[in-house]
Amino acid sequence: MNFIEAENLKFSYDGTNNVVDIPKLFIEKGKHTAILGHNGSGKSTLAKLLSGILLPTSGKVVVNSYDTTDESKFYDIRKSCGMVFQNPDNQIVASVVEEDVAFAPENLGIIPVRIREIVEECLFAVNMTEYSRHSTYKLSGGQKQRVAIAGILAMQPECVFFDEATAMLDPIGRKEIMSAVDRLNKELGITVVSITHYMNEAVEADRVIVMNKGEIVMDGDPVSVFSMPEELQGYGLALPQVTELFYHLEKDGYKLPRGVLHTMQAADAIENYVKGKNDARS
Amino acid sequence: MLSEITLGQYFPGNSVIHRTDPRFKFVLTIFYLVLIFMAKSDVAFLFVLLFTASIILLSRISLKLILKGLKPLVFIIIFTAVINIFWISGETLLVDFWIIKIYAEGIASAVFLVLRLICLITGTSILISYTTSPVELTDAMERLFSPLKKLKVPVHDFSMMMTIALRFIPTLIEETDKIMSAQKARGADFESGSIIRRVKAMIPILIPLFVSAFRRADDLAQAMECRCYMGGEGRTRMKEMKANPLDFIVTAVMVVAFAVVLLLNQLTIAFSI
Repeated sequence: MNFIEAENLKFSYDGTNNVVDIPKLFIEKGKHTAILGHNGSGKSTLAKLLSGILLPTSGKVVVNSYDTTDESKFYDIRKSCGMVFQNPDNQIVASVVEEDVAFAPENLGIIPVRIREIVEECLFAVNMTEYSRHSTYKLSGGQKQRVAIAGILAMQPECVFFDEATAMLDPIGRKEIMSAVDRLNKELGITVVSITHYMNEAVEADRVIVMNKGEIVMDGDPVSVFSMPEELQGYGLALPQVTELFYHLEKDGYKLPRGVLHTMQAADAIENYVKGKNDARS
Repeated sequence: MLSEITLGQYFPGNSVIHRTDPRFKFVLTIFYLVLIFMAKSDVAFLFVLLFTASIILLSRISLKLILKGLKPLVFIIIFTAVINIFWISGETLLVDFWIIKIYAEGIASAVFLVLRLICLITGTSILISYTTSPVELTDAMERLFSPLKKLKVPVHDFSMMMTIALRFIPTLIEETDKIMSAQKARGADFESGSIIRRVKAMIPILIPLFVSAFRRADDLAQAMECRCYMGGEGRTRMKEMKANPLDFIVTAVMVVAFAVVLLLNQLTIAFSI
């Protein structure tokens, strides 16, 4: 089932140059989709179009069966499709963690007792329960971003967009966010769309979309996308470390499988390769 | 330097004062201010000091933080004390040297004033900012002023603005610090030169600060919209404000304190104003 459907989607900021130009795009429900692209490839704009923050210049975006141009459904779309932004400092409204998480349900007019429950559930989901009464500004970047995620989860959305949500974080913070994202997707069954330029994050997705100059140039599961290193590099993207290593080894004449994405997989592949060679020799 | 400002900060906790209804706290703070200025005799004043000390103890806020909060006001405190010592004349002359005449009354009123200022600052910051989260505080104000809504005063909008302003104070302080360091690294000099030069040296700090504040505002507005913010209409609150017995006990304590001060004003050991 498709959660978001876009058709003949075109968008331009100035009226002449199309920043996004996509004939057809579906985002499947319950899946984790990663959108990759170098700076200025239109990936953030696409995310804003798909979540209804921006309205298309022409064409149509349907989110959860609501057309994004339908003003009467504005808050229904917001509610079903949350977005976590890049800078955690700029999306936290309140000074105390639990009050910030409560912001969205308060806006939606939910009764106080239920808000309290929602806040506790959401803080638990991002593993921030013990910080519920802390000041937001004293938290680390990763913790702030997890509060921001909890704030979005509190709307009980069916889909969450991550617009380079890890770009401003240190490696530890990035790991925290990635595990939180994984949890949302796998345990809570929330559709996740993450916009990123960290390849290691895209590797974890079910589907990878690569954008270049506003168009979708590659679309498939991570294994098939990362099996085409030359093409990816042509779009200004780096490869995941392991894939890059294998790519160079292959160039040097080693016959290793393509589309290896994880360190452990790579270790196994190399082990098999070495074993195979030894067997052939003996 | 800037990170030392504790003004307007909130220190989470679970003390009696933290748990008191913010609306009560707001009104009681006004009472407390009146109380400080009502104490006229030294005995009554001693009571006010004890009262303030017990507030500090009850709030469980460390003395270090409170002293830190007083630090930016040291100059004003000393200044007013000095003016009082030299300007106020009375009957008992203590020092008479050239044109300097210091009277016992002057010293007494200086001591009173200094203590009053300290009580004023610590008392209000404990009762309001240190123990009340900004959201609670602005919520309480919104509710206290809600009758004004009938007069088309945008009470909710003001309280939302306050919430966000308070939330961004530490963020912007941090940012100012960063910009200052960056400008210093480029050779900017903020410490020497005439006042005009120093004010001019602030321009390269203020411009980036404003630009980034506008960018933040833009981002925040989008994030708030994404979280379904639609203004005050139909909004609910996680923390319901219901007066509970504790609030009435606290109020009773304040009323008793009032009576005690009025009574002790009749008693004087050495001085009264």
